Amino acid sequence: MTTKSKPKALQEFSEAAKAIVNPAVQDWMDRGGRVVGYFCSYVPEEIITAAGILPFRMRATGSTGTELSDAFFSSTNCSFVRHCMNMGLKGDFSFLDGLICINSCDHVRRIYDNWRRKINTPFLHMISFPRKTGERQVEWLRGELTLFKEALEKYLGFEITDERLWEAIRLHNETRRLQRQLYDLRKRENPPITGAETLATMVASTAMPKLRYNQLLRELLQEVSGLLGHCDHSARLMIVGGMLDDPGYLEVIESQGGLVVTDSLCFGSRVCWADVEEQVGDPMAALAQYHIIDRPACPRMYGEQPRRAAFIRNMIREFKVDGVIGERIVFCDYWSGEHFLLDKQLKAEGIPFLRLDREYQLSGIGQLRTRVQAFLESVEGGKQ
Amino acid sequence: MSTRAIQRIKDETGLLRLALDRLEQSDSSIARLNKTVVKALIESNERILRCTETKAPFIASYYAYGPEIYTAMDLPWYSVAAPITTPIAVMGQQALECRSLDIPTELCTAIRLSLYYIENDMCLPPSASIAMITPCDGMQIMNQILAAKDDWRDVPMFAPDPPYVEGERALDYYAQQFREMVAFIEEHTGRRLDIDRLRKVIEESNRQYMLWSEYNELRRAVPCPHGYRMGNQVWTMVQMLGPGDPRCTAWLQELIAETEQRVREKRGAVEKERIRLFWYDIRPLWIHEFASWLEREWGAVIVMDMFTYNPYTLVDTSTEESMFRGLAKRGLYDVPMVRQERGPADHFADDITRIVKDYRIDCVVFPAHMGHKAMAGTVGICREICRDLGIPFLYLGIDLFDSTYTIPGEVRDRFSKFFAAMALG
Repeated sequence: MTTKSKPKALQEFSEAAKAIVNPAVQDWMDRGGRVVGYFCSYVPEEIITAAGILPFRMRATGSTGTELSDAFFSSTNCSFVRHCMNMGLKGDFSFLDGLICINSCDHVRRIYDNWRRKINTPFLHMISFPRKTGERQVEWLRGELTLFKEALEKYLGFEITDERLWEAIRLHNETRRLQRQLYDLRKRENPPITGAETLATMVASTAMPKLRYNQLLRELLQEVSGLLGHCDHSARLMIVGGMLDDPGYLEVIESQGGLVVTDSLCFGSRVCWADVEEQVGDPMAALAQYHIIDRPACPRMYGEQPRRAAFIRNMIREFKVDGVIGERIVFCDYWSGEHFLLDKQLKAEGIPFLRLDREYQLSGIGQLRTRVQAFLESVEGGKQ
Repeated sequence: MSTRAIQRIKDETGLLRLALDRLEQSDSSIARLNKTVVKALIESNERILRCTETKAPFIASYYAYGPEIYTAMDLPWYSVAAPITTPIAVMGQQALECRSLDIPTELCTAIRLSLYYIENDMCLPPSASIAMITPCDGMQIMNQILAAKDDWRDVPMFAPDPPYVEGERALDYYAQQFREMVAFIEEHTGRRLDIDRLRKVIEESNRQYMLWSEYNELRRAVPCPHGYRMGNQVWTMVQMLGPGDPRCTAWLQELIAETEQRVREKRGAVEKERIRLFWYDIRPLWIHEFASWLEREWGAVIVMDMFTYNPYTLVDTSTEESMFRGLAKRGLYDVPMVRQERGPADHFADDITRIVKDYRIDCVVFPAHMGHKAMAGTVGICREICRDLGIPFLYLGIDLFDSTYTIPGEVRDRFSKFFAAMALG
């Protein structure tokens, strides 16, 4: 490695990613700020920000068990959901003023059903999110987002004006632009930032006020853009999958000699690759258009697999990726199907693809190392 | 045209004919009823085969999308993921073979079975396909994989998008999705939907739903007049084989006459009924042997299950708009599995409460099929509802298709211990 000690901004991002109530969240609450949790990157943070509330993407970082939630879920429900619910039942999310769910997948949508029956969170809302990507779906979602905004206004007792919404959209677009700049640095032959560090940076954006985050990210970009970068990696890797919020997982992969240079993750490129169109008509319509049409879709969106595969192929070209790793939490049906197709499609094009199943909490590190090591050997063999 | 897919239909038809021959040897009232169902299954296959021979249009679709529309359009259809014409024994064997697919085995076996058919060119490419992207994630990925398959790549596909929430706004949206579906079918099959014809078909299917309701009321009788099998036959006839077909109506009338006779005579599915079960899921492929054991050993009868129950909401035929809304409503709120798994968990609670009371249920069995993950996330809710009702609740955790996932002997043992512990039977 040719990089020096960790930049200060990166340290703060890592801290934010490592904890639920991180210093930034604590500081926000100490100053009287409210926090609303949300599941899934399809929930528009901008509406929450416009309400003067800190949006916090739900994670189960640090959870050590599912002893309380096991009564509500089955062993065929994914470990992310069981850990999250467990933390909720333990009171670890009692700092939340509200929780927003969408029908993202079979597992997460049942959190809403159980949460509203068992956990007393002041504001709870479900957004019915379409599974298709047409104009009618944009219109449906615009209606859903309007209902969500109205419910939030009723809870808060004040109006969330269009001006505030546009302001929030501009702020979040700035976050996305800065994040894309970070990804751009990873296109270099010797990227100045690792995959694990990037993931920590992306996770932090969902767990701290955006103004502060953008300021830190600017500092980070300035600091790392001048670095020589990592040059001792054996292969440039791309990670493709769902709910991955643990930089430690990528650290294990990168410890075997590969460098993660890009991804298609919902704590990664999928949330920053496009902007919400600014100042065009209705802000709700702009947000709906962004989530249904413009942003890269996840496998929950029907009919989008060819576009998702094309997104990955573009990434592979742009970031000079040598091999792709598909990660998925066990029992996730969406990603089992997506990886099934990607495996065929990428291998047919001569692109190495490794499928990794995992639990939400980092475990089986030895086995993970072995599989990544074997994969890297095959990637290197292919290059020769 | 896929040779293997056509051969599969022919093979299955041959097996159905054998089953029909066996039924012909009996003159019992149940055999007579079953014969009609088997004949309808054969006819369904033959219609598809005729389409392949004459190059007439046919579609792939599902029972949740207003099959009355297809009847009105005189359009044969079949289901990729609900292969009702595949004999259970064949499907049981295929459920084992589908493990060889390069896909995680924790994906629902029913979905993997469909993928097995898809990957082995056993699904006949239709003129157009209506994809079902509810009630589970597995259905959506199955359709994505189907769309990527070489021989299906040119098949036009449309998926009605089901809203998650309920209410008037959701119904407006979903009814519009149904209208788009009809326009799509018209475009790709050349068939036209005549609204007056649709009205007649729906009027007939409304009669069928009233008869279904009547039949299920008869199942409230103690002892329950039929076992596990007949309830599912009603679903197969009303929502798959004969929606709006007067022959299906006649079959339901015959069924009710037969059931009424049994109720009058206090003749139940078993000689001495001791336990009345609510099986809250679809029936397992290994139901025959298992239900026979339940009945024989414990006098336990599956009085109600997910597919036998239906809210029987009738469709208002007064206007075109009311018909589309009515079919959309049925497709969203009523049809089995979609009713329970598509949206919020409220229907689970409502259905358990209603069925336990209406059918004098002694215990609720929650099979927790490995593929039904949204359902698995309601286990705590269902358990609490049963606790509040004072009704014993058995959680299993099985595979309804792959009999080796949980050894049948082990399932029987769990039931025996449960019945004994709850002092049932």
